[in-house]
Amino acid sequence: MIWVGFEKFGQSAYISQTKVTPLISYLEKGVIVGTRCKKCGKMYFPPRADCVDCRTSEVEWVPIEGRARLITFTEVYFGPPAFEQSTPYVLGLAEFDNGLRVFAPISRNLDREQLKMDLELVLKPRHSGEGVFYQLEKPD
Amino acid sequence: MARVAIVGVGQSKFGKRNDASLRELAFEAYSSALDDAEIESSVIDGSVVCSATHYDKQRSPAGVVAEYLGLNPKPTFNVEAACASSAVGLRIAWSLVSSGLHDVMAVVGVQKMTELASKEIQELMGRAGDVMWESPFGTTMPAYYAMYATAHMARYGTSEEDLAKVTVKNRKYGAKNPKAMFQKPVSVEEVLKSRPVATPLKLFDCCANADGAAVLLVANAQKAKKITDSPVWIAGLGLASSPMALAGRRGPMTSFEVTKNAARSAYEMARVKPSEIDVAEVHDSFSITELLNYEDLGFAKPGKGAKLLKDGDSELGGKIPVNIDGGLISKGHPVGATGASQIASLVQQLRKEAGDVQVDGAKLGLAQNIGGIGMYAAVTILRA
Repeated sequence: MIWVGFEKFGQSAYISQTKVTPLISYLEKGVIVGTRCKKCGKMYFPPRADCVDCRTSEVEWVPIEGRARLITFTEVYFGPPAFEQSTPYVLGLAEFDNGLRVFAPISRNLDREQLKMDLELVLKPRHSGEGVFYQLEKPD
Repeated sequence: MARVAIVGVGQSKFGKRNDASLRELAFEAYSSALDDAEIESSVIDGSVVCSATHYDKQRSPAGVVAEYLGLNPKPTFNVEAACASSAVGLRIAWSLVSSGLHDVMAVVGVQKMTELASKEIQELMGRAGDVMWESPFGTTMPAYYAMYATAHMARYGTSEEDLAKVTVKNRKYGAKNPKAMFQKPVSVEEVLKSRPVATPLKLFDCCANADGAAVLLVANAQKAKKITDSPVWIAGLGLASSPMALAGRRGPMTSFEVTKNAARSAYEMARVKPSEIDVAEVHDSFSITELLNYEDLGFAKPGKGAKLLKDGDSELGGKIPVNIDGGLISKGHPVGATGASQIASLVQQLRKEAGDVQVDGAKLGLAQNIGGIGMYAAVTILRA
């Protein structure tokens, strides 16, 4: 397999080749980014290399910041092989104020008993060995 | 619109079929479908082989299946839409028959899953979602459905016991189905005590991987009337898609837009309302899925799925009996065969051949089949 950067995404990546590989460098620098269409201004997160509305590839990288409210979550007890040692872990879906949604793990520092709908969280870039990812955490 | 009928159905025993290969499972179902229609294989002029091919050791399984069924040199090809493969296969066969390109086609749903090592299954399960953005976090098939369950419970007060009751109902009917993988009833307590898989879903909230095949023989009106006195007509076909990434979906995650869209198309095509459906087979890959389906198909109002079940309305004798063949929860889920198996059960109902679970006077049946984590949904309406 040719490794060209994106294999660093997440705890166990399946994809190595994509036009949005620069996300990895941003995450390594501690910044979470999406893309924005230069023509119509539509925001994409996770980032897309192409605007589906304008059919243009003229997109720019923009920071994704702010709080996200928890929509739903689950605690996984039976995981894929690469995650067997990590169970149980929590996965969540959250929505930013601008309506963009993120699917991400929820930090182990957050007590599962505290998790509820609409809980305010922040998305933080984190390292995992050689890789980088983002996760939902409690705001500071 | 041209009229197209189902003139024969067949199904293998589902379960851990370590006695049979993929092609042999397909043969069992095909042979019983020919017996059911009382026709010879020579009448069939093409086959649509439906399986989620990533589970098969055989690449491009239509090749060996058509060969083993004796259907060479007639046209054959594979159709894949994950768990909805054979419902989509029926849609393709309908189009080919109603266009006049074919007269009588076999829709062959088949899957061999238990031959895979559990590591291989786990690895495949890990790639059920968007492999670029979500699988790298350790997603699984149950985890996705569990997230719908969490949201539904929070918004509507649905409880883990409500979920357990879906399994209890379906296993009760599964005990009457000799083709089912599990033929033993379970109690609410047993479901609640089973080990957690992805909260709030536990082992007994989940259907099981299985081996099996189901076949539907599809004919144009002229041929159908020659073959049988009791053709079952395809009245409505709905199919829709949804973003694969969970983050790409909108709304509170308490319903599947993909099912609602597919249902709307099917009801419009059949010109019927949900209240007119006499018997239904819905995709109970997980207990929560059945409750969401009641709501998304219009059998219950949003948030009232658990109430429909508690009131006994989805039981045999209720307003809208659902999964009274045991559902995926009892039958097992040989992915490619599931849609055809649901439809085969409905055909038996509409021909009044459902024995112990016959719904009196059933004339309209509905099958709903979700593909994967909800990127596809197919709704099929049949009329006696």
